[in-house]
Amino acid sequence: MNCPDQQPVIHVVDDEAPFRRSLLFLLESMGWHAVGHESAEAFLAAAPPFPAGGGCLVLDIRMPRVSGLELQRRLQATDSSFPIIFMTGHGDVELAVQAMKVGAVDFLQKPFKDQLFLDTVERAVQLSRERYAVTRRHHEARAVLDRLSVREWEVARLLAQGLANKEVARLLNISDNTVHVHRQHVMEKTGTGSAAELARLILRVDPGGLD
Amino acid sequence: MGIRIQKFAVSLFGLCCCLAAGLTFAAEDVRIGVLAWQGEEEAEVQWSSLVHGLEEKLPGRHIVLKHFNLEGMTTALQAGALDFVVTNPGHYVALEAESGITRIATQVAEASSDPGHVVGSAAVVLDRRRDLQSLDDLRGKTLAAVSPDAFGGYQLIWAELRRLGIDPERGGVNLLFTDFPMAQVVEAVRSGRVDAGVLRACLLESLERDGILPAGELRLLSPQQSASPCQVSSRLYPGWAFAAASGTSAALSRDVLFALLSLPANADGESWSVPADYHPVHELFKELQIGPYAFLRATSWDSLLRLYWPWLAGLILILLAWGGYTLHVEHLVQRRTRELTLALEERRSLEERVRSGQQQMDHLSRLSILGELSGTLAHELNQPLAAIGNYARSLLRRQDRGQLSAEALRQAAEEIAEESERAAGILGGIRAFAKKRSRVRQVCDIATLIRDTAALMRGIHAGAPELVLHDALDEAARRVDVDPLQIQQVLLNLLKNAWDAQLAIGSTQPIIVTLTREAERCAVDVRDHGMGLAPEVRDRLFEAFMTTKPDGLGLGLSICKTIVEAHGGELQARAADDGPGMVFRFSLPLATNPVADGEKT
Repeated sequence: MNCPDQQPVIHVVDDEAPFRRSLLFLLESMGWHAVGHESAEAFLAAAPPFPAGGGCLVLDIRMPRVSGLELQRRLQATDSSFPIIFMTGHGDVELAVQAMKVGAVDFLQKPFKDQLFLDTVERAVQLSRERYAVTRRHHEARAVLDRLSVREWEVARLLAQGLANKEVARLLNISDNTVHVHRQHVMEKTGTGSAAELARLILRVDPGGLD
Repeated sequence: MGIRIQKFAVSLFGLCCCLAAGLTFAAEDVRIGVLAWQGEEEAEVQWSSLVHGLEEKLPGRHIVLKHFNLEGMTTALQAGALDFVVTNPGHYVALEAESGITRIATQVAEASSDPGHVVGSAAVVLDRRRDLQSLDDLRGKTLAAVSPDAFGGYQLIWAELRRLGIDPERGGVNLLFTDFPMAQVVEAVRSGRVDAGVLRACLLESLERDGILPAGELRLLSPQQSASPCQVSSRLYPGWAFAAASGTSAALSRDVLFALLSLPANADGESWSVPADYHPVHELFKELQIGPYAFLRATSWDSLLRLYWPWLAGLILILLAWGGYTLHVEHLVQRRTRELTLALEERRSLEERVRSGQQQMDHLSRLSILGELSGTLAHELNQPLAAIGNYARSLLRRQDRGQLSAEALRQAAEEIAEESERAAGILGGIRAFAKKRSRVRQVCDIATLIRDTAALMRGIHAGAPELVLHDALDEAARRVDVDPLQIQQVLLNLLKNAWDAQLAIGSTQPIIVTLTREAERCAVDVRDHGMGLAPEVRDRLFEAFMTTKPDGLGLGLSICKTIVEAHGGELQARAADDGPGMVFRFSLPLATNPVADGEKT
């Protein structure tokens, strides 16, 4: 947490300035780093990067012009990783349910207890961290695998599936020796020492990649 | 018509009688009726000399003598059954008037040659009644007479008593009528049944002379000096009359007259003379209101009634009609008054109902406007409350964590104060707005009202557009005498409408409010930058339940118009001169009272 890059960031988007400021003040009271945005457009314009320490988006579901739901839709299109918590008015439960179906982590009906709000934010940030970790590993594995040539990738998949060199040679219609050379390159490039390790790496990138 | 037929019948009857007489008797028959004042027998004796004398003087004529009482003679005369009548002066005067007979001779007494002073009356008492000396002494006593119709036998004494102020008719004396013959009166006096009696003059002397009455047993009251040979208690009047019936021929009358005048005096010394003047008899009758003057007695109602009954009936009819009309008018007036009272009552209660109805309506409209706002109202009110809650909780958390800085405390406290004021503002405005209230008038500055309303609107709607107020008026021209809440309601309605119009096309331009002076009024223009309204919509804009909003009730503007007009102002709508949008103008009369006592509290 000492490192600024590792600190979670909470973004609050609400057109009601006094209320928005009160939420920021509350979050800051608990040590969160919180940023306020007066509208959906303002948030999109700022386009904050997803923080390494995690974070979440607290979004008023009703706002003039671009609504909270519209912002959610646009963020999903850009593959954003921010978990979204919606704040709804009295009659907006249906909208909230709809938002949940398309991926919101939670919703809070105004007026809400500060503790509930903080707990929800906490959970969302935790979730974002987990998601971030998965994503990071996925990205790393992808980067490793991307170094393999096409033939090396074919050999690596078969080896990960537990096939012996001879069987790989026969399936790929190449010599045993050639398979051996490819195997050595794959192990070197991926830094793996066994077929099992290789399989784990591949599954991390694509859970159904060995089917 | 009935009377004429009756007369005709009577004449016919008379004609028949004449024919019958003509057939039965010889043409020379002379029928004479005499008043039998002493009974028929006496009369036969009394008048036999007359009958013989006339038959003697009128050769070839047969004298038929008939005896009658007073009523009988009248009837016979009217039936035409008599040619002549012989009767006393009083009766003659009565018959003269009733039956049209004409006197041709008057009987005179022996010693008197004046036919005008012959008949008198004697009021007699028992001589031993020393207490009775004059007629005046008869006051309260009992007096006997033959009949109220007897001339010498009652009426002359009646007149004398009246002149003394004793009216027998009014109980001055007690009367006893014995009926004819007059001897019954003498008997009544002698027996002591009555105190006094009335006799025809000379009867007393005659009775004494004949030995029927002991001389000196009876005595006269108030003996008078007179030309009469007998004692009298009264004045003297003309003697008995010999009169011709109205149908008797002049020739017969003349013949009979000559015969009468040539007759010698009878046994009592009475003879016939030229007809006397019966005027004193008329005077007497007039005085006593009897005989032909009996009508005077009833000057009275029945005579007037008989004479003037058509007039009287007419008068009564008119009076009745007038009375009826008056009653009718009175009734109408009462009914109208009642109706008017009822109508006024009804009108008052109607006005009361309208008034309370209008208050209900105002109230309803406030509520309906609230209803239209309520979607955002709860949200808007929750915002400051939630913010306040958040700041308070945050402060507690920082305190708990030992991280409460002075700067953070100040920031939170400022925000809390601001938000609580905002919430109070919204609530205060709403409460005053929704409260049902009676009509009030306060002198207010219209610009202040507009600014307050704008603040209220921003309090309710966070996103309300800016409001620009163009105010070139001096303070006096902005003073209006109004119900501030109602005018705020109008303003809020117009501002909300303006905003809605702009929202529909996404305009964020400010709403322009302009104040101008319009004669003795202050005009307020609310101009929006919406897309305006079609003329046909504009025309119906102020009708109740007319709306262009999908969820509007269509009451706002109609209520606004009612409110403004109740203030003596006008509310109009027109298209904006410069570009799209509408201008709503309402005007209010300027306050005449310059003292500003009612600034908004």
